[in-house]
Amino acid sequence: MLKAENLQKTYRRHAVQVQVLNDLNLEVRTGEFLSIVGASGSGKSTLLHLLGTLDAPDRGRIFLDGKRIDDLPARERDWLRNRTFGYIFQFYHLLPELNMLDNVLMPAYIGHSLLNWWQTRRQWRRRAEELLKKVGLAHRIKHRPRELSGGEMQRTAIARALLMNPRVLLADEPTGNLDVESGGEIVRILRDVNRAEGVTIVMVTHNTEIVSATDRVVRMVNGVVIDDTQPKQPWQQPRLAAV
Amino acid sequence: MYKLLLCVRYLQTRYLAFICIVSVMLGVATLIVVNAVMSGFSTKLKDRLHGVLSDVVIDTDRPDGFEVRDDKGNSLTPDQIIDRIMKSGAGPQIEAVTPTIEAFAILQFRYRGTVIAKPVRLIGIDPEGRTQVGGFSEYLVRQKDAPRPSFELTPDALQRHAWNVEQFRRENGPNVPAPKVQPLVADPNAIPEPKMEIDRGIEQPKLHGVIVGYTIAHFRYKDESGNLVEEAALKEGDDVIITTAGGQELKPVWGSFYVTDYLKTEMSEYDQSFVYVPLEQLQRIRGMMGRATAFQIKLKNYDRDKESVGKELRGVFKNSPEVRIATWEEHQGPLLAAIDVERGILNLLLFMIVGVAGFSILAIFTMIVSEKYRDIGIMKSLGASSWGVMQIFLGYGLLLGTVGCALGTGLGLWITRNINDIEKKLTAWTGTSLFPRDVYYFKEIPTNIDPATVVLVNVGAVVIAAVFSLLPAWRAARLQPVRALRFE
Repeated sequence: MLKAENLQKTYRRHAVQVQVLNDLNLEVRTGEFLSIVGASGSGKSTLLHLLGTLDAPDRGRIFLDGKRIDDLPARERDWLRNRTFGYIFQFYHLLPELNMLDNVLMPAYIGHSLLNWWQTRRQWRRRAEELLKKVGLAHRIKHRPRELSGGEMQRTAIARALLMNPRVLLADEPTGNLDVESGGEIVRILRDVNRAEGVTIVMVTHNTEIVSATDRVVRMVNGVVIDDTQPKQPWQQPRLAAV
Repeated sequence: MYKLLLCVRYLQTRYLAFICIVSVMLGVATLIVVNAVMSGFSTKLKDRLHGVLSDVVIDTDRPDGFEVRDDKGNSLTPDQIIDRIMKSGAGPQIEAVTPTIEAFAILQFRYRGTVIAKPVRLIGIDPEGRTQVGGFSEYLVRQKDAPRPSFELTPDALQRHAWNVEQFRRENGPNVPAPKVQPLVADPNAIPEPKMEIDRGIEQPKLHGVIVGYTIAHFRYKDESGNLVEEAALKEGDDVIITTAGGQELKPVWGSFYVTDYLKTEMSEYDQSFVYVPLEQLQRIRGMMGRATAFQIKLKNYDRDKESVGKELRGVFKNSPEVRIATWEEHQGPLLAAIDVERGILNLLLFMIVGVAGFSILAIFTMIVSEKYRDIGIMKSLGASSWGVMQIFLGYGLLLGTVGCALGTGLGLWITRNINDIEKKLTAWTGTSLFPRDVYYFKEIPTNIDPATVVLVNVGAVVIAAVFSLLPAWRAARLQPVRALRFE
């Protein structure tokens, strides 16, 4: 479904160059829950950004369903980010001026003109409320992000990522800023989404405990994939493991 | 949709936006108030400048008046000249014409036992004719708006005159001449003084009235408490001596007149120098043999006919190069131009205030964009385009400008409407008069709100707000989402 070929990415600042990805190849299959693990600086997040068209590679190509997407015009990449990809970030990245409902609705606000939004607003609002209910935040829709805990904010971010029915969820350290219990809850939700709705998930994580919840684990070192395996043990709730 | 939502939310939640709004608001309010006051002053000044002048003035520098001759070489009287004007091509556009004489003179009178002498502009008029050409009776104090004002003394004025005579006789004895001041020149001898034998009781001659400028007749000073006091130095019925130059050799001549009314235009230049006397009497004193030095003309439609009438009149007086023909605007040209220039410069300077507000928008927006660095990344990751992000900040600038303009317009109109009350309160608080009425001779600060100016100020301020938000908006649009999202 999503394929990266010979990706190279180098960050330059003045005379300093840091090669982050070095001829990386990766294929993500439809409906799978893929986790990417590796040490800090191994290029995990950069790979995720390239896959999601948030950044462009220096060399190499990225395909979605066989169609190259890394060189698309800006407008088509914007459309892909709005409709095809859903993002979940380590630091939640909710807009502080908006309440939870508006935060979840933001992709729909962006994807519709004023008139179009006005005509479909009830349908979108219903979907946003369902998603908030699904992540257990039905009672928090009028709250602002500063009034919520880290776990609640991350669940809101998941609801936002799912609003437009994306085909691929790109999660960058979704549990990195949470305690074990909240992190486990997030992984459970992602797992449910993957299983129930068939959404392909690519998750970057440091946490080796939660990778057992995924179908496939890719290990990166210095910008290349060095290991591509399936977890041996069935996934358990991390909180249980912690107990 | 998200652009509108975020514009409104940013406006509601950012206190920095409030500073932008206040900057624009103050700039717009100041511009509206200053323009309204300047326009008020300008309009009132123009009204008054026009007020004592008729639409078109024909005048000559010859001290003995117009020397216009017919085909046979006979000198024309003022009535014949008027007849010629009315029969010219300009005639149908003219509503009224009246002859006048203008000369410089010295006015003398007694005030608290002292002789006061003032240089004045002496104008001989037929009061009824002068009223018909406009700008006269509306400025008289006693005969205000009278259709047929005159130089006749009222019974009260006559009584005052009689009292003056009686008082003088009581103080100086019955054989002393009447209570009138002596002319500055001891022996003018060219033209005899009119017989004024009121002190001998032989014959009561006609008492000639004079209308004097209000400031000539009233002295203003501050008393011990610092309050402004106005005292009438010349009351109705008081006598004055007017000395001017007359005859072929322009020797000093004078005449006695009795105050019958005041001219109060609230233009200090006029009120402190204009003195009106009967035309025939001035002609007689100056030995002008029925001539006039000016003709005041009122047009039926000034704006439409001023050019064509001027052209026609120049044809009538083509053989008299010393004759000047000018509209009231041409007469007051330099002053009117000065008012316009002053207003233009003031507007330019004040628009710089809005410019300063624009720079504060630029600075604050740059701060807001830096602050919203992460939000911009989030929106781009959710599919917002660079143009969409730019529109958010442009819209934000436009919204700040619009809200600032709306508040500034409200504030400006409110201040303009209540400016006199505000001035009084500020004067009471500070103890310093912000609008000294004795300087301006206006009862109130004049204001005139021109809707076109208000619209122009608003449009200008909104455009400035939008233009100054362009650069920060463009910077926001160029942000790479991944750089904004990488770190918390």
